[in-house]
Amino acid sequence: MEIWRLPISASQRGKLISAGYTSLSSLSSISSSDLARELKVSESEAMNILKVASHSRGSETSNASCSIVEGAQSAWDMLHDEESLMHITTSSADLDNILGGGIHCKEVTEIGGVPGIGKTQLGIQVAVNVQIPNDFGGLGGKAIYIDTEGSFMVERAFQIAEACIEDMSEYNRFLRKDFQECKIKMLPQDILENIFYFRICSYTEQIALINYLDKFLSEHKDVKVIVVDSVTFHFRQDFDDMALRTRVLSGMALKLMNLAKRFSLAVVLLNQVTTKHTEASFQLALALGDSWSHTCTNRIVLYWNGNERYAYIDKSPSLRSASAAYSVTARGIRNSSSSCKRIKMM
Amino acid sequence: MARLANLETEYPVLDSTVRNFCASHGIFSVEDFLIHDLYMLAAFAEQNDSSERLKEGIAQVLSIIDDMHQPWLNGMELLEDAKRNKHVFPTGIQGIDLLLGDGIRVGQLTELVGPSSSGKTQVCLRTASNVARNHMVLYLDTGNSFSPQCIAYFLGKTISPSSAQAKNQFLQKVMSNISCHSVFDIFAMFDVLHQLESYLRCQDGRGCCQMRLLIVDSISSLISPVLGSSSTLGRALMTSAGYLLKKLAHQHNLAVLIINHTVGGEGGSSKPALGDSWKCIPHSRLFLSCDRGSNTYNVSILRHPSMASVKAARFVI
Repeated sequence: MEIWRLPISASQRGKLISAGYTSLSSLSSISSSDLARELKVSESEAMNILKVASHSRGSETSNASCSIVEGAQSAWDMLHDEESLMHITTSSADLDNILGGGIHCKEVTEIGGVPGIGKTQLGIQVAVNVQIPNDFGGLGGKAIYIDTEGSFMVERAFQIAEACIEDMSEYNRFLRKDFQECKIKMLPQDILENIFYFRICSYTEQIALINYLDKFLSEHKDVKVIVVDSVTFHFRQDFDDMALRTRVLSGMALKLMNLAKRFSLAVVLLNQVTTKHTEASFQLALALGDSWSHTCTNRIVLYWNGNERYAYIDKSPSLRSASAAYSVTARGIRNSSSSCKRIKMM
Repeated sequence: MARLANLETEYPVLDSTVRNFCASHGIFSVEDFLIHDLYMLAAFAEQNDSSERLKEGIAQVLSIIDDMHQPWLNGMELLEDAKRNKHVFPTGIQGIDLLLGDGIRVGQLTELVGPSSSGKTQVCLRTASNVARNHMVLYLDTGNSFSPQCIAYFLGKTISPSSAQAKNQFLQKVMSNISCHSVFDIFAMFDVLHQLESYLRCQDGRGCCQMRLLIVDSISSLISPVLGSSSTLGRALMTSAGYLLKKLAHQHNLAVLIINHTVGGEGGSSKPALGDSWKCIPHSRLFLSCDRGSNTYNVSILRHPSMASVKAARFVI
């Protein structure tokens, strides 16, 4: 294995190569003080380099007999794990149906649509619904809301939280007729307290925050959803270097995937739309380009059909393409048919 | 390749005089030797005092280099190897199998290119479920899109209706042959490929259920964050990844399936991502697209060692 496949900094790599160390085997028999002397770096840096090199070498020789590589899971185990994974409801039964129960955990879902279609409303609804306790079929987790546009309204979140609690008590009353005493102890303030809000003002802040989330999530293990509203805003205007934009966005997407997988949470990215000129016709497509459209696990497109709002599954590994109608009411996202007053909880 | 200093223990002829002479010409390792003009070096050695020892040293280094290349094979040996080891795996999708002449070939790197949501992951899942009946499969997933439900669905369609328990047993046996690992950066992928290499080296001796299919979904997500900056490291990592995959495919008789996405080309058409340097690396390239209206997929050959590249087909998943 070659030196330049090691995850070390470019200057360290340059020093190693100019001193003649081009492969791992050449680093095997040297001590850290000799290396520090030859490369003219501090001893702790030399020790770090040797540690990385021996870790990579160690992975060459060890091979567990049960799995091909460490950390791999067989598809059979994953099938059973998936059955126990919960989904985050969107409070609209039709929407939940086409999503296979709701927003999936361990996946990155991108939701995009024209301005005014209800993306932020959906984001706030998801941040509230993730806190529904386990008894009511929810995850009982906390939420991280990353706001890049400044469209998060606390009063609206309070309204939606109130409505969610009212629905839960109504459900309680409806189903558990014997336990009259059992009241919902949650208050809207508790729900708001469990939403961690970050306001981002530039793309560097956005990247820095995504990098920081690793540490944040290790301390707050009960966070179950990350909502980014919207992921596009700081990457659209004044970004001169398109190649840099592609690199930064792909790196960010991979980090979010990593967080989703490691901490078993759902990541919801809200995106804007742009017009695409294909064969003399204009089409609406999600912003940030082709490379970005490839990076998310699922993609939902929100659009207007007449006077109704519709959601369409554009990309998903396990769901069929389908669309469903929903509406944005004073209580949040609900089914579009006005006859259905009671929300179906799982 | 080792530094000359480290080789002294094994080859005592490479002592400090030889090394100092080489260092005076900027040669510190065996690799530097290769890129140097050996005639010039020999001429300088001639003029030096201890020219005999220097020439011995140079001859020793050249013999070390000689040991490092792959063994020569003649045409008959290659044919034998192809007949015995390099089988073809059907993907399970009729349209693609007809197009490729039976399926994807062991020992080759097959790339699936297409715009978003054009069925690339579905084709990979289908192929994995097909090959897993008899062999082991490793699926490297970068976008958390490995769906065991899809695999169970594809397998369920192929088995004849029988008792639930028999179906369960069949599913368990086949799905235990598929291992899925998530990688989120290119260095992690290199790590995994090296572990895989040592696993395959041990496996080649055994006769039982062997690993025959490696799927990387998708290689473009891993390479995009490093490609295109002012340093050339990104391109080096990309070509190195390509060569490592091809080496694994050829030496250990694997079929390798990778996924690439598309970017906008001239005139609004889409072209495969990762640029011209990547274009020549996969043995076969297939372009997929989806007809949203009719829910059928189109596949056409961009490059194939034995099929004409204007052929196209349609299929339904």
